[in-house]
Amino acid sequence: MGDNFQNKTMAPVMMDYEFKIKTQNERSKVEDLFDFEGCKVGRGTYGHVYKARRKDGSDTKDYALKQIEGTGLSMSACREIALLRELKHPNVINLIRVFLSHTDRKVWLLFDYAEHDLWHIIKFHRAAKANKKSVMVPKGMVKSLLYQILDGIHYLHSNWVLHRDLKPANILVMGEGPERGRVKIADMGFARLFNAPLKPLADLDPVVVTFWYRAPELLLGARHYTKAIDIWAIGCIFAELLTSEPIFHCRQEDIKTSNPYHHDQLDRIFNVMGFPLEKDWEDIRKMPEHATLVKDFKRSNYQNCSLSKYMDRHKIKPDSKAFSLLQRLLLMDPNRRITSEQAMQDPYFSEDPLPTQDVFAWLSYSQQQPNERRPNEQTMRLMTQQNQVQANSHDHAANNAKRMRMSGPNQGNNNQGGGQQEFHQQQQMMYGGQQQGGGSQQQGNFQQRF
Amino acid sequence: MAGNFWQSSHHQQWMLDKQDLIRDRQHDLSKLTEEEYQKIFNFFASIIQVLGEQLKLRQQVIATATVYFKRFYARNSLKCIDPLLLAPTCVFLASKVEEFGVISNSRLITTCQTVIKNKFSYAYGQQEFPYRTNHILECEFYLLENLDCCLIVFQPYRPLLLFVQDIGQDDQLSTYAWRVVNDSLRTDVSLLYPPYQIAIGALHIACVMLGKENLKPWFAELNVDMDKIQEIVRAIINLYEMWKNYDEKKEIQGLLAKMPKPCPAPQR
Ligand SMILES: Nc1ncnc2c1ncn2[C@@H]1O[C@H](COP(=O)(O)OP(=O)(O)OP(=O)(O)O)[C@@H](O)[C@H]1O
Ligand SMILES: [Mg+2]
Repeated sequence: MGDNFQNKTMAPVMMDYEFKIKTQNERSKVEDLFDFEGCKVGRGTYGHVYKARRKDGSDTKDYALKQIEGTGLSMSACREIALLRELKHPNVINLIRVFLSHTDRKVWLLFDYAEHDLWHIIKFHRAAKANKKSVMVPKGMVKSLLYQILDGIHYLHSNWVLHRDLKPANILVMGEGPERGRVKIADMGFARLFNAPLKPLADLDPVVVTFWYRAPELLLGARHYTKAIDIWAIGCIFAELLTSEPIFHCRQEDIKTSNPYHHDQLDRIFNVMGFPLEKDWEDIRKMPEHATLVKDFKRSNYQNCSLSKYMDRHKIKPDSKAFSLLQRLLLMDPNRRITSEQAMQDPYFSEDPLPTQDVFAWLSYSQQQPNERRPNEQTMRLMTQQNQVQANSHDHAANNAKRMRMSGPNQGNNNQGGGQQEFHQQQQMMYGGQQQGGGSQQQGNFQQRF
Repeated sequence: MAGNFWQSSHHQQWMLDKQDLIRDRQHDLSKLTEEEYQKIFNFFASIIQVLGEQLKLRQQVIATATVYFKRFYARNSLKCIDPLLLAPTCVFLASKVEEFGVISNSRLITTCQTVIKNKFSYAYGQQEFPYRTNHILECEFYLLENLDCCLIVFQPYRPLLLFVQDIGQDDQLSTYAWRVVNDSLRTDVSLLYPPYQIAIGALHIACVMLGKENLKPWFAELNVDMDKIQEIVRAIINLYEMWKNYDEKKEIQGLLAKMPKPCPAPQR
């Protein structure tokens, strides 16, 4: 036996030297392939995100590189990689590749770069509104954004993936290029599940931790995330797009606890929605924090509150199709809230204006500087018609050419052997080819709808 | 993820071809016979199973760990990484993908030590489990690379339960078939066939073992390639045949000694 190891004290050779060297040589380093120094664009709870370009110039596209917080493969990193590796949908951010840096044990994820996000888009509109330069988000744009968010969430939900952290900052929108104006849902809250309690708020960007999009059942202590919780958040985002105001805006200084019950946030929800009637939410009595609710709140304080009054004040008519869909998304009782699939069938989407694949199609102007670093400025430009540089057809062509090239030598290659290649190449081709009318069934449906 | 198997990396990248598998094993099969090779895998599958049970992992997680292990050696020789290190690494990675609580590094190492000492002394004698956390973590990066980040594995257990429901709940049948699926992890079928076919193969074997003739029409109505099911059945039956005349306790030390091993860096 045991000529596996010579004796008790000496560790055996765990790895073959030749194998190790060969793997090392085949492995590419993120810093060898990409330029990203000084291009940090985001700092989330669980990572740093950089805007990156390929060093070899084989394409001039922008990429997003996310360095996962900490070292090694945490549980959330494993889940994020495992699920993103499988998910392929035009409205879900595409994981192109994973880099494992053996020396510092850092994990890097490579994504397509999405120039915009709803947080910045809405922020711009709110600022414009405050300056009385009324630029509402165009109606067709709101509808297109919502439709694509629902489409992406429907895909996730039908694969039993819950997002858990939907909010405007996590809804990205592609900039110039073949996918211009397409929604990409990012940052599935894999981390959320495994990293409780949250870091104290003070450590973070205020965008990062917010209770504004939390469903009432979570605030009342529901122990499990559900699809309905994601739907509530979508309802909040929809309202915010319609009015440019976070519908359940609430002071946040005192959110430091890991306790789900949050008095002020519930108060805000009731101030907009009214206090839920027993008959509208029968199971509310079963919520863990129901007793606290009864103790802290008086129904009579919310007598005159209702969603229709709130939206009416913001110029959304209670008899509009937009309002009736919003009401179905923001039902207090999670069991009655509609599903993403039902929402996509809502008459709102078959009424003019019909949703478009390019959410920016509703802005008659559409240009932006291709090399801008800061998404907020870009979004502003996009919206304000400043810097209307000549049409960027050149850039567009370059991007398309790159997509064509991808169908060349790599196609049919099975991605085997060492994780050196990029994932989903064929899928990308399919999406790229969508404009020309190709694509899978999924794509077919998508196209029909628009 | 209960997503769509047909669009998964499992289906698109990890349904291997029998001929390719044989070709990629050339190096190992020049040192070991096919049967010896299978016996070595059988042994490490047991280590993964026992480790998983000690760590109170669900069978689904144990099965995923075993498939990672098989996938790694489908592309690499046994000499590349010591399987005694890769086995717990697979368990560790699978638990992070599939479970809700993390196994702490120290608990993993302690469990490896006790399992090797108490359950596998017939193979390792007085040798202690020689690896530490840093070995596992380094190995984990190599494993993830070699899996091409494909971590979601579809298992036959879910389709099996659905089939059993369809047949009309039969606890004896489902228990038997479940065990056959566990045994199938010791063959190559998880690398070669989709999980629903393996589930049908396992059901088929369970029916034969239990003498359930009355299910013939149910099988006949299934819209599946019966040749494939027969191949799966044969692979599992071959395993049972091998077990009949095999005493692992007597043979395993010799087999481990013969197994190709990692070579250290050349001495200067
Ligand atoms: N593909 C991308 N393209 C452009 N910007 C991105 C991309 N992915 C992420 N970002 C930016 O980086 C920020 C942080 O990324 P992400 O939300 O994935 O990280 P996180 O650490 O999980 O964040 P959170 O704290 O919201 O959970 C995002 O809010 C966004 O501004
Ligand atoms: Mg985020």
